[in-house]
Amino acid sequence: MVDFDFLEPQTVAHASQLLAQYGEDARLIAGGTALILALRQRMLQPRQLISLTKIEKLRGITVDNAGTLRIGALTRHSEVGASETVRAHHPVLAGLARVLANPQVRNQGTFGGNLCYADPATDPPGCLLALEASITLESQHGERTLPIADFLVDYFTTAIEQDEILVAINVPASKANSNALYTRHLRTAAEHRPLVNFTSIVECEGPLCIDARIVTAASTITPVRCTQAESLLRGKTITPELVDAAAQLVETQISPISDSRGTDDYRRHIAGVVAQRNLRKAFGLENA
Amino acid sequence: MSKHTISITVNRQRHQMEVPARRLLADLLREDLHLTGTKRGCETGTCGACSVLLNGELVKSCLSLAVQADGCAISTVEGLANGDHLHPLQECFMQCGGLQCGYCTPGFLMAAAALLAQNPNPTEAEIRKALNGNLCRCTGYTQIVESVMRAAQRMNAN
Amino acid sequence: MEHSTLGKDTPQVNARAKVLGRAQYAGDIKLPGMLHAKVLRSPYPHAKIVRIDTSAAAALPGVMSVLTGDDCPKSLWGGHHKERSILARDVVRFAGEEVVAIAAVSEEIARDALDLIRVEYDELPALFSPQESLTAGASNIHTGRNNIAHAIAFDKGDVDAGFSQSHLVFEQTYSTHPQYPGYLEPMATLAHIDVDGRLEVWASTQSAFLARARLASALELPVSQIRFHQATTGGGFGGKIIEDANSLVAGLLALKSRKPVRLVNTRLEDFQAACSSLPEQITLKIGMSRDGIILAKEVRIVADCGAYSGLCSEIMHVSAMRSDNMHRLSNIRCHATLAYTHNPPHGAFRGFGGSQMLFALNSHLDTMATKLGLDVVDVHLKNAIERGEVSAHGWVIGSTGLKECIAQCVESVPRARGESEAGDKKRRGWGMATAMHVSGNRTIGNWDGSTVVLKFHEDGRVLIHSGEADMGQGAATMLSQIVAHELTIPLVNVHVVAPDTDISPFCLGALASRVTIAGGNAAIVAASAAREKLLRFGAELLKVPLEQLELANGMVRSKTDPTLSKTIGELAKLHIWREGGEGIQAQGSWDAKTTMHNNLKGNVASAYSFAAQAVEVEVDTETGQVVVTKSFVSDDCGKALNPMAVHGQSNGAAAQAIGWTLYENLLIESGRLTNMDFADYTMPTADALPRLASGIVESNDPNGPYGAKGASETAILPGAPAIANAVFNAIGIRITELPITPEKVLAALRARADQMESARG
Repeated sequence: MVDFDFLEPQTVAHASQLLAQYGEDARLIAGGTALILALRQRMLQPRQLISLTKIEKLRGITVDNAGTLRIGALTRHSEVGASETVRAHHPVLAGLARVLANPQVRNQGTFGGNLCYADPATDPPGCLLALEASITLESQHGERTLPIADFLVDYFTTAIEQDEILVAINVPASKANSNALYTRHLRTAAEHRPLVNFTSIVECEGPLCIDARIVTAASTITPVRCTQAESLLRGKTITPELVDAAAQLVETQISPISDSRGTDDYRRHIAGVVAQRNLRKAFGLENA
Repeated sequence: MSKHTISITVNRQRHQMEVPARRLLADLLREDLHLTGTKRGCETGTCGACSVLLNGELVKSCLSLAVQADGCAISTVEGLANGDHLHPLQECFMQCGGLQCGYCTPGFLMAAAALLAQNPNPTEAEIRKALNGNLCRCTGYTQIVESVMRAAQRMNAN
Repeated sequence: MEHSTLGKDTPQVNARAKVLGRAQYAGDIKLPGMLHAKVLRSPYPHAKIVRIDTSAAAALPGVMSVLTGDDCPKSLWGGHHKERSILARDVVRFAGEEVVAIAAVSEEIARDALDLIRVEYDELPALFSPQESLTAGASNIHTGRNNIAHAIAFDKGDVDAGFSQSHLVFEQTYSTHPQYPGYLEPMATLAHIDVDGRLEVWASTQSAFLARARLASALELPVSQIRFHQATTGGGFGGKIIEDANSLVAGLLALKSRKPVRLVNTRLEDFQAACSSLPEQITLKIGMSRDGIILAKEVRIVADCGAYSGLCSEIMHVSAMRSDNMHRLSNIRCHATLAYTHNPPHGAFRGFGGSQMLFALNSHLDTMATKLGLDVVDVHLKNAIERGEVSAHGWVIGSTGLKECIAQCVESVPRARGESEAGDKKRRGWGMATAMHVSGNRTIGNWDGSTVVLKFHEDGRVLIHSGEADMGQGAATMLSQIVAHELTIPLVNVHVVAPDTDISPFCLGALASRVTIAGGNAAIVAASAAREKLLRFGAELLKVPLEQLELANGMVRSKTDPTLSKTIGELAKLHIWREGGEGIQAQGSWDAKTTMHNNLKGNVASAYSFAAQAVEVEVDTETGQVVVTKSFVSDDCGKALNPMAVHGQSNGAAAQAIGWTLYENLLIESGRLTNMDFADYTMPTADALPRLASGIVESNDPNGPYGAKGASETAILPGAPAIANAVFNAIGIRITELPITPEKVLAALRARADQMESARG
């Protein structure tokens, strides 16, 4: 690690001010699980490290009157997984947080840090997109809320402004009769980052699909809401053939990344298989 | 650049010390406090050899800055035994062949201790999941899993 | 023998230190004034070093020494060929080669200094495959020599006649990929100049004496000017013999800076500095009779040793010859070529060339059995060499438990095939494979022996001095068990002194699965000598005729009158405190009754171990994922001196083999490693493996200590082909190029579907 100053502001405004003051030389640190790796390999060489851990506002898990779940940005994955509130309101999110990465990273990494890092090969972003979550950003000049889709811009890139801090993740209440299902696929059992993940939130009346929100992620630079497949499913009587057709649409809609962990063709194929398996289970067509 | 005076409790002993901002928690333990039981095996937070308990929770000390641990209580492998009286996990790792070269062992012991504190009766699958942030190249894990299971039984019997 | 632990599950004698976190690995040891070292490595696979500017680095406060190739002795180092400078001179031949070494007062300052070094390279064209480097007209990678590092050729019997008599002749090419050893402790060395001006070194190594010899030669020092300690070693797997430069760089820095210097590889560096296993392309042609007897065998190997050949010549010998000896063969022909390239060097890895060939051979036998409508198990049994036979290469088979190993595996993993419970998309399959390995190998020179020195404390406890290395496999425990057993004392009364070239007797160390057979036998000889001394002295003190005395329960006593006795402690003390007295010491040496290869023939090892493995896999036909659901390795280790340790070796070997086959894929693109970290080079974790199981077969070798042979290397050999055979059994797809990735399985399934489609069309 190149040497740096370690600063610990107590308020968001102060942190924002420091970011503005030091510009590109500064970096925010929350849990540090991703950042410290980059520092140790000197891929990043900030002069100032601004720690967020003293800012109380970034903590806590609450639910407002409208039923929106607010997860403070500093909430660690293990806290999300263990939270009674999260389990009650969005069990899918709690379940995801309990399998992400490994126990140590779940105890150290934060939900906010995960989103800001914008690594595609991770669990939360896709699921949060399907849940139509938004994030709250704050700077010394004020606060704004962005849908998660607008926040995740590109490979390791977000829409955060230079002096902004991610304060909280907001997840709107789910409909009473909807069901959320998250599936992660590891390329091999020895890899612990998802090659592809898939979230479906479906609302059914008997065999009729009233609504479906489906998202594929991890193999695309940012999570992809599969709108064509959603349209295909919405208002239809669910059959295995319809589900297969929806999965086929997922496969064709995306433009997967291609790297040492998998070519685009392979990733596309797996995205289709994972979509099919998830949707079959989500619609009660099979257990697998 | 910046130096920080931190107060940290390691294995029930309090320390107040000045550390440079870029000191890793792992290096503070190994180099400053001479607690070399905590190992370093990689730079990517993957091997788990540096695992310690921070306020009772399992973390990788190579993914943490020492300044981030200010005010925290840390347990390392050196704190597991009570004097000459070994922790059941230590005894069972010995008796079941849960270690060979021993380099990953401190990390596994801490990961297993964290697991048993949360779940005193884990299944084999739960043990395997709970240890997936730690790498062992010698054992193939069979005897590590047996060690943890036997320690759990022993701890529950007491 | 109430105290004897032989044959009983015995915790490692150093386990307590390890669970307490007290064991001292080289990176844990500190000396006053110690400096920390860092190495700058070549970013290019092949380049001329035009200029190195170290001035800014040297000027950084805290930097004490900056060395380049110009500071190195002229002598080169290496295995078969002396061809490598400690720090590159004039030219770099692989991406990762050591170019500049720095010692500074802290690790971070040393690392800061690396960023200040300016090296001007003139990049040169590079050769990345044997196909390229062996092409006529390819430039020579080493000046004055062509790109063939080594070649092997033999032709025994009448291979062509064998083929023409065969009912089935089948030829197939297989390829194997390199595997990184992945020991959890990256290589580390602490070196300093001691008070007498000698170089003293603590390092993570499999062989203190071979490491010292290499260091002495590379630094142009007499061996006697170096004291080499083996620190607690966090795994070796072949990677910590003599092919890495870690201790050379640390030694050079200590010599030049006159300060203690510690060099601990980062994992990133270790991937570049350590040798991964030798990738080979193997073409196998076998002729078989209708009932599965091998009538002729032809092998062609092309192997890529990378830029420096290290131990690869010897490794290729193993690939070329060893597996011939497990079968009853008369007609065999082989041609093997080891080629230099500008890839990172490959080298020794557990199994030492056996895994590569046994992947090809076991895959081949499986295919041929299927083609002939035979049970592959019968094919293995029919061809298996038997005890008392001499193989085609002159190996004398003193013991073999291969048939029992096969039987154990077949019984332990039932042959399941077809759909899995998880639905019709997942297919289950069964596969098996067999293997052979040596216990010792008379190849380094005309000695494959070992010496053990026993030194008695005045309280009767015993120090064991041996230069054989424990890198986690349990050598110290094995030596302790034997000495305690022979002297009828509890295990806690013996203590193994870690290898130290000043104190330990000369030994070759942990390679070729030789420690149990060589070190174990030497321990028996030494303990017998000690017993003799104790009895003679007891006879003198007790005034009882020697033949009426026995050593039992840690005392010399009369066989007829138990009141006439002296404990070993009493004897040890009295042996000193008398006129002309001395402390009791005893020494024992043992050398294998083997011969060096003469014209590729000769009984090179005292004993040969065998293993078999059966696995069940589940193949997901939609995702291409292969999961091993059951695995059983059976190891014929002669006699299990410590069954718990043997099971540990077997299970660890199985895990490493599964990793090689399914999970670990070292990516080398244009000579550069692209996944040199544990996040991208994925070794198996606990949740990526089934509950690995193992069995022991005791064939009681006449040359082994109590019948024991080497255990551990043999067990890694059958894993890959067992899995490949199980995949074939599950989905009818034969993977001939390792690793078996989901992409390959999917591509093969798709190709077959297309083929069937077009056949229908």
